[in-house]
Amino acid sequence: MDLLPFLVTQCLNAFSQAALLFFLGVGLTLIFGIMRIVNFAHGTFYMLGAFVGYTTVRITGSFWLALVVAPLVAGSIGAAFELGLLRRLYRRDASAFLMVTFGLTLVLEEVIRLTWGVQALQVEVPDLFAGIVFLFDEPFPVYRLFLAGAGVVVAIAIWQFLERTRLGLLIRATSQNSEMVHALGVDVNMVRSGIFGIGCGLAALGGVLAAPLVTASLGMAANAIIDAFVIVIIGGMGSFLGSLIAAVLVAFVQVFGNYYFPDFALAAMYLLMLLVLVIRPGGLLGKEA
Amino acid sequence: MPPRAGLTRRTILQTAAAAATAPVVIRPASAAADPIKVGMPLALTGPVGSVGGQLRRACEFWAKQVNAKGGLLGGRPIQLLIEDTGGNPATTVRKAQEMVERDGVRLLTAIAASNEALATVPKLAEWDAIFVSGDNGDGRLTGESLVPNFFRPNVSGPMGTRTVALWLRDSSLKSFYALGMDYAWGHNSIDVFKDEVKKAGRNFIGDVYSPMGTKDFSTYITKIRQSGADAVYLVLSGDDYNAFLSQAKQYRLGDKVTMLTELVDEMVLQATGDASLGLVGGSRYPNTLDNPQNKAFVAAWKAEYGREPYMFEGDQYQSCVVMQAGIEKAGSIEAAKLRAALEGLTVNSIKGPITIRACDHQAEQPGFVVKVEKDETGKPVPKVIATYPAAKVTPPCNKMTYND
Repeated sequence: MDLLPFLVTQCLNAFSQAALLFFLGVGLTLIFGIMRIVNFAHGTFYMLGAFVGYTTVRITGSFWLALVVAPLVAGSIGAAFELGLLRRLYRRDASAFLMVTFGLTLVLEEVIRLTWGVQALQVEVPDLFAGIVFLFDEPFPVYRLFLAGAGVVVAIAIWQFLERTRLGLLIRATSQNSEMVHALGVDVNMVRSGIFGIGCGLAALGGVLAAPLVTASLGMAANAIIDAFVIVIIGGMGSFLGSLIAAVLVAFVQVFGNYYFPDFALAAMYLLMLLVLVIRPGGLLGKEA
Repeated sequence: MPPRAGLTRRTILQTAAAAATAPVVIRPASAAADPIKVGMPLALTGPVGSVGGQLRRACEFWAKQVNAKGGLLGGRPIQLLIEDTGGNPATTVRKAQEMVERDGVRLLTAIAASNEALATVPKLAEWDAIFVSGDNGDGRLTGESLVPNFFRPNVSGPMGTRTVALWLRDSSLKSFYALGMDYAWGHNSIDVFKDEVKKAGRNFIGDVYSPMGTKDFSTYITKIRQSGADAVYLVLSGDDYNAFLSQAKQYRLGDKVTMLTELVDEMVLQATGDASLGLVGGSRYPNTLDNPQNKAFVAAWKAEYGREPYMFEGDQYQSCVVMQAGIEKAGSIEAAKLRAALEGLTVNSIKGPITIRACDHQAEQPGFVVKVEKDETGKPVPKVIATYPAAKVTPPCNKMTYND
């Protein structure tokens, strides 16, 4: 393979992975930015998204509907969890959140296991994107192009949502000074429930989109939560733009690292994180820790 | 690390739940005579839990069949004693010991993992019990660790590798690449495969190892394609295997490169569907075998479970049938009599006639190479593309390696 086609296909691969990493990381970072809590159950919502997506495709035959249903289901469960449980813990220290969200992962995983069984489940690529395109005579899956595109679309949508809408304004304000926002007569608790739900919904969206690549399986959660944390730490806790940059960086380091240094495949992502933390301890766009 | 703690806790809960409901007993209402107890201390949870589930189903199916016909030895029904070991060898030995001492069990089968079987066999003489393996692959069980009361009617690991190697020599494939998971199993299997490629006089181009839990296989697929190899040997399992096959299909890798693997397990076919098409590998028991015994077995199995039997289910069922034939020939389940009856016994079961060798208690049987293809309903199934005779597949007595 010549250098140019190689570079083009690998860059596209990297962008498709970046999109998946971004869906995972951005929800976690939004939740952290507003609520100052680490949502350990984030990977489980990602997994839940894949399984709900599988069932939606099974029943309705529509992958597109799955992209709507799964985030709604996961978002509702997330918001309900915040309303019912997390809300009572805000006066406690951070370890309480870690414990209770970790507890949620145990419960949700068990529910998923009992509902869908232990077998990995296949989610087919939607027909529209099942084909391949030839880039310089190299076959490339259309679905990966779609993933990269979806990443761009969702990133712009979230950015516009944060910048242009009233709820987006409240979210930004709450993350900067929640007491002041509260004093101005805004129900900060509702903002929190909302953002927790949105974060979980974004994770589930990532889960549905990842399912055709990795199948829906019980191993997804543990795997995803580590990636999500790495993205958030590299990008800076609570930074939307940071998580976007981190997702792209990690994806490129993984794709090219795996190719040129396969023996260090596992370490590449962590080396990048180490480097970023040495230079900027608070993450790329984070406040100094 | 917290995810680990989660796994452990879950395992404990599952084991506790299993212990509360065990032993599972199958008792036909008509049975008046003293039942023949068969002990099954096996992993139903943990990493080999899915295999354990297959073994359990096969034994339950067999017991039901036998009991429906009035049992063995003049009306004695089969009673299965099933307990979960979680895949822990120490637990297996303890549970087996309990079954022997508390319930008077003298027959054991379906111990899922090879390390569990290796831990159990030294105790067989003391327990005066016979253990008929249903899936244990470790070559040592009929080699250096062989004990008189152990029998292996199933295909061993070395026999599986041998079958693929024999196919390699016959194939027109010239150059090979390998992708394995980056831990002991991946490296060992690929080392063995490399040797076989060299023995077959073919070209081994290179190998690459992916860390456990790899989600994006695009770079590995690029490497395989760039190597220009005719075939790639895959040593992957679980989620990694499913992810690789799904993505390889999206890149149309199978159009140019033959995908080879050690064992084609139906669990992967189920999880990846059409993405498994074209996969070539060994099979311990392909359910498409064309003989009357197998056709009857598959039909009865489908009536019971609504699908074809999987690989480990078929092999375990064959072991049960061998055990049954031994009991009928011996007219007893006493270890000494049963051992004498099983040695040299030929049974015509679902893989055709197989013979338990007296020298190392390994069943001589054919080896199958399968290719995943669509059946008439469009579902991917393993189809037999080559069969090698027992004489070529079974190693010399007490050996794990072959002379050629």
